[in-house]
Amino acid sequence: MGTGPLAQQSRSFKHEEEQLLVDRCRQGDRDSFAQLMRLHQKQIYNFTYRMLGNEEEAEDLTQDIFVAAFRGIRRFRGEAKFSTWLYRIALNQTRNRIKYLARRDFFARQSRRSGSTEERPWENPELLADIAPTPEQWTLTKSLATQVQKCLNQMGPQARQILVLRDVQGFSYEELSEMLSLNPGTVKSRLHRARAALQKCLADKLE
Amino acid sequence: MECRKYESQFNDYLDGELSLKEREALQFHLSKCLSCYRKWNSLQKTKEILSRLPNMDPPAHLSAVVMARLKERRLHKSQWPFDYLPRWLQLGVGAAVLIISLTLWQVLPPSFSFRSLLPGQGNNLNISGPSGQPAAKFTTRRGGSQTTVPVMVLRVKDFSRADRELESMLRSISGSMLQEREPTRSLNSSSARLIDLKVPEQRFSHLLRELHKIGHLDQSQVELHRSANPQKQKAISLRIVVVGNGSDVEIHQLRK
Repeated sequence: MGTGPLAQQSRSFKHEEEQLLVDRCRQGDRDSFAQLMRLHQKQIYNFTYRMLGNEEEAEDLTQDIFVAAFRGIRRFRGEAKFSTWLYRIALNQTRNRIKYLARRDFFARQSRRSGSTEERPWENPELLADIAPTPEQWTLTKSLATQVQKCLNQMGPQARQILVLRDVQGFSYEELSEMLSLNPGTVKSRLHRARAALQKCLADKLE
Repeated sequence: MECRKYESQFNDYLDGELSLKEREALQFHLSKCLSCYRKWNSLQKTKEILSRLPNMDPPAHLSAVVMARLKERRLHKSQWPFDYLPRWLQLGVGAAVLIISLTLWQVLPPSFSFRSLLPGQGNNLNISGPSGQPAAKFTTRRGGSQTTVPVMVLRVKDFSRADRELESMLRSISGSMLQEREPTRSLNSSSARLIDLKVPEQRFSHLLRELHKIGHLDQSQVELHRSANPQKQKAISLRIVVVGNGSDVEIHQLRK
């Protein structure tokens, strides 16, 4: 387990090499697809995990995303970056999965399950010390991470996805604009609203 | 009023999108306004928490599972060649195939083999051969369908006699030669008869020889049809119009 914006890690892979792998995939080379998958699976898995808040569901969804990507790779014309194209698939699949799970009360059940004090840090005064006054001194405990995830789960999918993509995974406004097919102004205003909603949800922890 | 203006700049400040002048002005305001500073600090912490969320490692087997699923899909794909097409296009292809099939169903002659194999199409009637075994299968054509088979006209002097000879010839050879024999509509009359046949290619010349023995045979349409379709066919569908002398009007009607 490591930290840091995954989008930046992905960018470090040379575009030309990735394009070569994509070209081979389009000719049906599954080994090249396996290499592409190894490059992007961590990023996609973390995206799905933050969107769904459940490891098993995230794994399942990540599988579906890559299967759909392989299925559609012949239609990838290289007009956008591969990662942007892959995220478009991820966003569509995630949207559908959230609808599916919501119909089955999945998120409500998830919320009921996290009932211990450890997982409800806002009820435990000691956990307020998790965040020290200066960012350098902050320690993000498991319980705070759980609380953040809980807040994310309570937000609408649109707000959640934009927060995860921008503030967790570190994509630029231009990349977000392309992935979400929105103009940069809309991306910004949605992000600002989403930040404000999360800020409100974490208010007790942030004082 | 001033606070609201600076609050609206918080997000741009976080994203490093303020100019130097704007940044300095905001920093100056934050150093003086405690309320704004608290709001700013809270937003800054929110973003910091998100960026510090741990990155989970995906399960080690994830890649292997996906590749196994792709392998399954490839096996499945061999049964469905349009797999890479979008779903709407797959449905379109399916609809087109259905429409073409229905059109062919109406256009093809009933003597066409796959059609005659299906149950309930026309009234089947077996004619017993000399040994009591079915010698030929008669299938009545459904009303209204048009034929595209070439026509041979067999002119005979004595129609009744020729008709008997023809019937006898067809009965004697039909077991090995004819796949089907079917009168179209109720066209048997005292001076004209119409017979639809499907003859195996290798027996076609034998049929011609036998017909030539019975009367004068005009086979030009069949020859034209065969030269227009040079590819080897397993069986030849054709129609024989048997007419007595002076029945040109009937020939014309039957050809139509």
